[in-house]
Amino acid sequence: MVSQVSTQLVLAAKAGPELPSVDDFLPDPILFQGTPFAINRIILIRIVATIVLLLVMCITAKRAKLVPGRWQGLIETLLEFVRDNIVYQVMGEERGRRYVPMITTLFFTIFVFNLCGIIPGMNMAATATVTMPLVFALWTFVQYWIAACREKGFLQYLRGELMPPGVPLPIDIILGPINLLEALIIRPFSLTVRLFANMIAGHLLVATCLAFTQFYLIEASNWAVKPVGVLWLLGGFAFVCFEMFVAALQAYVFSILSTVYINQSYPEVE
Amino acid sequence: MPLAEKNGIALFLPETYDIVWSLVILVVIAVCFYKYIMPKFQAVFDARAAKIEGRMADAEKAQKAADEAKKKYEDQLSQARVEASKIRDDARAEASHIIADARSRAESDAAQITENAQRSIESQHKQALVSLKGEVGTLATALAGKILGSELSSSATQTQMLDKMIDEMDADSTK
Repeated sequence: MVSQVSTQLVLAAKAGPELPSVDDFLPDPILFQGTPFAINRIILIRIVATIVLLLVMCITAKRAKLVPGRWQGLIETLLEFVRDNIVYQVMGEERGRRYVPMITTLFFTIFVFNLCGIIPGMNMAATATVTMPLVFALWTFVQYWIAACREKGFLQYLRGELMPPGVPLPIDIILGPINLLEALIIRPFSLTVRLFANMIAGHLLVATCLAFTQFYLIEASNWAVKPVGVLWLLGGFAFVCFEMFVAALQAYVFSILSTVYINQSYPEVE
Repeated sequence: MPLAEKNGIALFLPETYDIVWSLVILVVIAVCFYKYIMPKFQAVFDARAAKIEGRMADAEKAQKAADEAKKKYEDQLSQARVEASKIRDDARAEASHIIADARSRAESDAAQITENAQRSIESQHKQALVSLKGEVGTLATALAGKILGSELSSSATQTQMLDKMIDEMDADSTK
C-alpha cells in the first residue's frame, strides 16, 4: 500500500504531502465514457471484488463437504453467524428463514466491498460511493415495505406507523409524521450514510497517514523530521487494522439494522 | 483537507452509470447467493445434521440391542440357575427315594429270608421230631421189650411211656 501511495505521490511530485481529497471518491470514467455503462476506478474495484467474492463462494460451495476443511469451516462459521446471531436472534427462526439469503448476501457483499479499502492496489472501498450503500438500503427498504403489506396490509401498516396504539392524539400529530418520515426516508438514508461515511472516513484516515509518512520519511531531506514520518507510518498501521475492524463492523451493523427494520414490519408477537 | 463545496455535494449525488453498475452487481451477487451458494451450503448443513442424527439414532439402536441381549442373557442365566437347582433337588430326592426303596426292599427280603429259614428249620425240626418219635419209639420198645419181656406188650402202656419220655426230652431240649 505504501508503494502504491508513494508511486502516486512521486508522480505528483509536489512541495507538500499529497493529501487525499474528495476527488478520490469521484474518479473520472476510464471506460465507456458518456454511456450509462461508464466505468470508473471505484466501479472497476467493485467489479473485481464481485468476481472474486462470487468465485470464492461458488468454488467453496461446489467443493463443500460433509466434513469441512479449514476454509469451508471459516465460511460456514460466517454463514452460521449471519443466520443465527443476526437473523434468527432478531426475528426468530420461523420468520427469519425467508430473509437468511438476503441478509447473508448483504453481509458478505458489504464486508468484501469494505475490505477493498485496505487491499493494496485497490485502496478504496467498493462501497465508497453513495450509490452502492444506497442500493443496499433500497433493497432493505423494499423488503420491509413488502413484508409490511403482506403481514399487516398496507393501510393497516400505515395506520400503525401514523397512529401508534396507546399514544394520545396530541402527541400523535407530532409522532405520526416523524414515524412516517422514518419509515420512508430516515431508515434508508441512515443506512446509506452510515456505511458510506465510514468508508470515506476510513480512506481519508489511512491515506492521510500514508501521505504524511511519504512526505516526512521519504521526500523530506531534513533528517530531523524522519521520526515524525515513522510516527505517521505507525498511525497508518493502526488505521489499516482499524479499517479491517470497521469493514466487518459496518457489514454487521448494516445487516442487523436491515433485519431489525424488516422485523418491525411484522406484527408484534403476542 | 481541501473539500471543495461542489465536490462535497457531488459525493452524495449518484451518477447514472454508478447506479447501473451498483444494481447490476447487486443483482448478480444476489442471484448467485439465492440460487446457488445458499442452497448448496444449506444442503451441506442439512446433510450433516441428518448424518449426525442418524448416527445418534444408530447408537441408540445399538445400545438398545445390547441392553436387550444383556437382559436376555441374564434371564437365561437365572433360568438356567433355577433349572440346575431344580435338577439337583430332583436328583437328590430321587436318590433318597432309591435308597429308601432299596432299603425297604432289602429289609423285606431279609425278613422273608429269615422267615423262610425259620419255617424250614421248624419243619425240619418237626420232621426230625416225627421221625425220631417213630424210630425212638420202635427202638425203645424193642429195647424195653427185650429188657422187660412181655410186661410191656400192651400198646397202651407203650404209648403212655413213650409220651412221657418225649415230654422229658422236650423239656430237656427247651432248657
